Order: sequence, then C-alpha cells, then structure tokens
Amino acid sequence: MPSCKDITEHSSDYLDRNLPWWKRMGYWLHLVMCVHCRRYVDQLKLTIDAIGKSPDATTPDISPEEIQTIVEKMKHATKNKDG
Amino acid sequence: MAHPTLPSDDELIPRLLANDETSYAQIVAAYHGLMVHLARAIVGEAIADEVAQEAWVAVLRALPKFERRSSLKTWILRIVSNTAKSRLRHESRTVSLDESLEENPVIDPARLKPNAHWASPPIMWHADTPDALLASAELRRCISNALATLPPLQRAALTLRDMQGLSMEAICKILEVSESNGRVLLHRARSRIQMAIEEHEGQ
Repeated sequence: MPSCKDITEHSSDYLDRNLPWWKRMGYWLHLVMCVHCRRYVDQLKLTIDAIGKSPDATTPDISPEEIQTIVEKMKHATKNKDG
Repeated sequence: MAHPTLPSDDELIPRLLANDETSYAQIVAAYHGLMVHLARAIVGEAIADEVAQEAWVAVLRALPKFERRSSLKTWILRIVSNTAKSRLRHESRTVSLDESLEENPVIDPARLKPNAHWASPPIMWHADTPDALLASAELRRCISNALATLPPLQRAALTLRDMQGLSMEAICKILEVSESNGRVLLHRARSRIQMAIEEHEGQ
C-alpha cells in the first residue's frame, strides 16, 4: 500500500492513467481510505483543469501582416541558402 | 497530429521544399502562435517572438534533412525548443533549465510525518470547479505568478501538455527528455501551481 508521500509523488501518473494496474489498485485503495489524499488528488485535477482554462493557456494570435513578415524572412533565408 | 487547416505532411513537405510561398503562409498561420507559446515558456515573453522567427529560418534550412521520425509539427517544435534553450544558455549561462527531484520534493517534507503520512494535510479550497476558481482575479494572478517562477523545462512541459494538449510522447521528443523525465517535469510543474493555489487559499 503506498504512503501519502507516494500518493503525492505519483498523482499525475494516476490521473493520466500511466500507472501499471497493480500500482493503480494500491493507489485507489489508499484513496478510498485516506480523505487527505483524496482531497490532494482532487485538487491536483482541479489545478490541471484550471491551468488549461487560465489566460496563460491562450495561444498567441498572429496577424496577416506578421505572417507576411515571417514569410518574407523565410524566402530571404532560402534565397541566401540557394544562392 | 497535424493542424486541421493544413494539408498532410506528405503533401506539405514537398511544397515547402519547392519554396511555395502559399505553403509557407499556411504553415506559419497554423503553427507560429504555438511556437511563440512554447518559446515564451522557455525564454520568457520579451524574446519569444524573436526566437520563433529564428526557428522558422532554422526549419527551412534543416527541412531537406528531415527524416520523418516524428510529425512535421513535433519536429518544428523541437527546433523551437532547441533554439530557445541555446538562446537561454547564451543570455544567462547560470540559469538551470531544471532542478533534480531530490533537491525539491513535490511536498514540503515538514508537511509529512516520519512515516510518510500527512502531518499537515491539504486544506479545503473555496471552489471546486476550474471556472469558479478562476473567477477570482487574485487567484488568476497567483497562477500566473507561479507559472512565471517555474524552471523553463517544467513550464514548457506544462504548456505543451495542459495548455496545448500534446501527447507525452511528442513532448518528450520536443524537449529531448526521456519519458520518465518528461513525466517528472510535468508533475513537478503541476504540483508547484497546486501548492501556490493552496498557499493563496490559506491566506
């Protein structure tokens, strides 16, 4: 049976379903019995979901003008390479 | 997986090799934002766009040698990551890209008893959904600040996995880390954000 420390160290593996079945079973049994670790894992899940929805998760926009600028740089680089 | 607005890698690569301007514009429109997001995670906001632009030139130069061991997207992001990492090393030679797990355990050892069970267990949070949690401007700031203090590779793993939804396999190729190290990076990043929220909730 894992300790509370083991639970905190492998909680991402548990949530991402990356534990072998026997470890997953021990992990699950611990969670059934330990309210503190249940809360810890629930809060990690909440944290992951909040990170995904936070303003920092937004992919930066690119304007048509910026695209054109980069394309020009790419053309210039290939010309230099070919030349 | 390729971007939904792009043709398949098999169609796109020959067009890029033929210097097709329309394909250049298509691929830049599809991936530049993601590249800046990744570069920002490693080198910070100020020079992220510059690093992404530098990476595009490197992509075109290396494309004839692309061996197709990964998708084009993963390969491009690996070039961004390498460009950003070398830029970071160049700008600040003392910066560590990551720290070992032993140096910084996931949980403060003082919170655990000698038998490795909780001495100071997690406290209740005021919200139990991400939207309710993020409704607080202070908490959004707290998450943002915690993200800013993560070591670059942890922040990159978190950005690619929990913000951009890439697979761990792709992330490990992009960051050039083993699968176990990739998982450690991701877990430590998530745990640090969780601890920052807990600290905020306890105030």
